[in-house]
Amino acid sequence: MKALWVNIDYVASVILFLIGLYAIMAKDNLVKKLMGLNIIETAVFAFVMASGIVDGGDAPILGAGARPPFANPLPQGLILTGIVVALSHTALALSLIIRIYEQYGTIESDDLWGVE
Amino acid sequence: MRRVIALAVLILASVPLMYAVAQLPPIGSVQNPTYTHVVPRYLAEGHEEAGAENIVTAVILNYRGFDTDGEVTVIFTALMSVFAVLLMPRLADKKREEGLPAVPVSPVTYFVVRTLAPFIVMFAIANIAYGHAAPGGGFQGGTIIGALLIATSLVMGSERVGRLLPESIRPWLQPAAVLMFSIVGIAGMFLLGEYLSYPVHGPYVFLRTPFLTLIEIGIALGGAAIVASIFWTMEGSEG
Repeated sequence: MKALWVNIDYVASVILFLIGLYAIMAKDNLVKKLMGLNIIETAVFAFVMASGIVDGGDAPILGAGARPPFANPLPQGLILTGIVVALSHTALALSLIIRIYEQYGTIESDDLWGVE
Repeated sequence: MRRVIALAVLILASVPLMYAVAQLPPIGSVQNPTYTHVVPRYLAEGHEEAGAENIVTAVILNYRGFDTDGEVTVIFTALMSVFAVLLMPRLADKKREEGLPAVPVSPVTYFVVRTLAPFIVMFAIANIAYGHAAPGGGFQGGTIIGALLIATSLVMGSERVGRLLPESIRPWLQPAAVLMFSIVGIAGMFLLGEYLSYPVHGPYVFLRTPFLTLIEIGIALGGAAIVASIFWTMEGSEG
């Protein structure tokens, strides 16, 4: 229990991940499923960012007046990339959902089972 | 029933995840494995080696430049896919007339957005221009401009805002990030022999920060154009 309390930031990411997973599994609406996927992504981003936290660390910007310790720049760079990729696939998924709606008139996945 | 199964799966999934989290090294320690691998070198020499005071910028544009090159290709490909999915079936349709926003906008929203817009643009430009030396950078600044274009489109109608970015120049701005990466990468190839290499010493060392700034500007223009174009394309669809 103490180990979980020390890593409370990671625990928060795990809970966020599970919330997103629930949305993907239990919701019928495709937009809500996509939101669940985005929540999962946010959880992963928060997890990786938390691994880069340094106690009392400054932003990793060198130059006049900067003094260590600095926060870890590597997770920040990776997550910046990850956010852009998340935006890209969200845009693509939304446009596919729009096309599904135009074609079938519904975005409820259980209604979509029957359509041809 | 489905909810019960979903909850059961969640509880099953949470056990190994929580177990793994309990095994991880504590957050915030400088002894963390994430902080002892390549990061000490980035922090110690990144300023000199990569030519940017903001180490995050140094990481994404210099140390991990290929990664970012691929990433701007991903977002450009996403825009092309959105076009392919949404626009192509509609090219046959007659052009829909677009005027004022479909939903009436409250005057308060209209006033606030219009009043704040210049300051938001200033903030975005500062983000882009000082991205190598301060928090911020091309992605952040470009996304701010894109979000501003979306916000003003919502209150003023896409027709008026879209005129800021005429159809004739959009195809040149959307791939700006990819093009700028290629230009800088090929320039590096001619000057130094390898794609996307930055001068560390020698006669071209003065080009290092301009290279980073050029890529930042390209990323910002491309990002803003892509974010706004995705919105405009989706908005034009019925639903």
